[in-house]
Amino acid sequence: MTSKWTSRLIIGLTLTFLIGPFFIIIFAGMSAGDFMTFPPDGLSLKWYMKVFTVESFRESFALSLFLAIFGTIAALILGVPAAYAISRYNIPYAETIKTVVAAPIIVPGIIVGLALLRYLVVPLSFTVTLALFMAHTALVLPYAVRVVSSSLNNLRSDMEEAAVLLGCSRIGAFMRVVLPNIQSGVLAAFILGFVTSFNQVPVSLFLSGPGVRTLPIDMLSYMEITYDPSVAALSALLALLSVAIVFLAEKFLGFSRYV
Amino acid sequence: MFQNNREGLALALPAALFTAILFLLPVGLLLSEAFKIGGQWSLQGYVDFASKPLNQTVFLRTLKLGFLVALTSAIIGYACAFCIVNLDGKNRGRVFGLVVLPLMISPVARTYAWIVILGRTGIVNDAILALGLSDTPIRILFTETAVFLGLLQLFLPLMIISLVSALENLPKDVIPAARVLGASWIQVFTKIILPLTKDGLVMGGTLVFTGSLTAYITPAILGGSKVLMLETLLYQRVNVANDFVSAGIIATILITMSFGANLLLKRIAKARS
Repeated sequence: MTSKWTSRLIIGLTLTFLIGPFFIIIFAGMSAGDFMTFPPDGLSLKWYMKVFTVESFRESFALSLFLAIFGTIAALILGVPAAYAISRYNIPYAETIKTVVAAPIIVPGIIVGLALLRYLVVPLSFTVTLALFMAHTALVLPYAVRVVSSSLNNLRSDMEEAAVLLGCSRIGAFMRVVLPNIQSGVLAAFILGFVTSFNQVPVSLFLSGPGVRTLPIDMLSYMEITYDPSVAALSALLALLSVAIVFLAEKFLGFSRYV
Repeated sequence: MFQNNREGLALALPAALFTAILFLLPVGLLLSEAFKIGGQWSLQGYVDFASKPLNQTVFLRTLKLGFLVALTSAIIGYACAFCIVNLDGKNRGRVFGLVVLPLMISPVARTYAWIVILGRTGIVNDAILALGLSDTPIRILFTETAVFLGLLQLFLPLMIISLVSALENLPKDVIPAARVLGASWIQVFTKIILPLTKDGLVMGGTLVFTGSLTAYITPAILGGSKVLMLETLLYQRVNVANDFVSAGIIATILITMSFGANLLLKRIAKARS
């Protein structure tokens, strides 16, 4: 019996350390006062409301949403064929291609942002938004390839071979046989890519210009100027959004299989 | 398996070329800047960088914090993973889900919570004042302790995940067998659990260590300019001094370390399969 209670205590303490801080920011954001304190000075939802009225938060949220959605779609457009080639063909230089595509995971984001700023944005006059879009696409690509590859590897390849033998074109076989079978893997890759891109900070540190800021960067700079509870409220909202996405994905896709 | 390899290459090349040209090439150019002083190829940049006391402090502090965070998460990770593995199926899934969940949440949100906890008017200082342990609030924010706690909270889940999967593969009866034969818990850990789960430990350790070395947000929010780490130093060098030589050197250090860690992980994964 004692060992059961020790075990509960250890798990309880670890989870408190890992998850407790989120409850604290949820409550800190509910403060009725003007400064961050915990416990809050009285309860109100005014800071949660204020978040939606701050112009820069709205703009940066829109940019982050745009990058997360379209960066992930672009990564899937590049990544699904690549994953298909790696799992179904015996292509030359397969190892090199895999290493190149996986490289963005290894390079720290701050370096990527600086390199793109220095060699693409400044000399070739790429817009900051375009550079951000490319960086986010490259960052999500490794996850897209990995998740889609693993669902392709779980799908027997003789079905599409049969479809081709029966007269279906190769593209037709992919569209009608392969894609319907891997769609939950592709959706899982989209969700993982979306969350990764949306939470991404270091890439955008250098890649932000006047009026072009991702949400996390905007929060960092807001934090430096003011010490009101609105950042806590916004953090709490973002955390709840992530939890909701992951919960739904787990419920409908068995998301944790893919991560 | 299809035999038309040209077709396969045509499918894979867009992704590879995209990453190579728009991602790896600019990064490579940035790294090469550290070897160019006044248009000449030289190692002088590295010599100058290494001789500055601030750079040495930051480099050693980054390694030290990375090591401490990895060590602490290994200790907590073993205890916690051992308890998780011993839960029954349904509870195990739930607890595991709660451990993984923070990984999907914005690191800015995760780090911001520590300001509320550790700040001058935060929970810890309220408790210290209320208990009379000190008359004035203690500075915890902008110290190495704050950065350490932030990094530990950020990366502990990675260690627990690695250790849970290593412990799941441990044969069920080895521990009772060792106990019956008279081994103490310490002997069970050092002679049985540790050797049989060392791959998981190395995997988790590398993820936590490299994660801590390359973290930006945590040292930026919780350490500020008082507790610089390599990434925050890089940001400062570029923004304050336009110093691209130092930036290239720090970038090379960070990439070498995370590339080395990645090779190590690949080797472990290969040995396992």
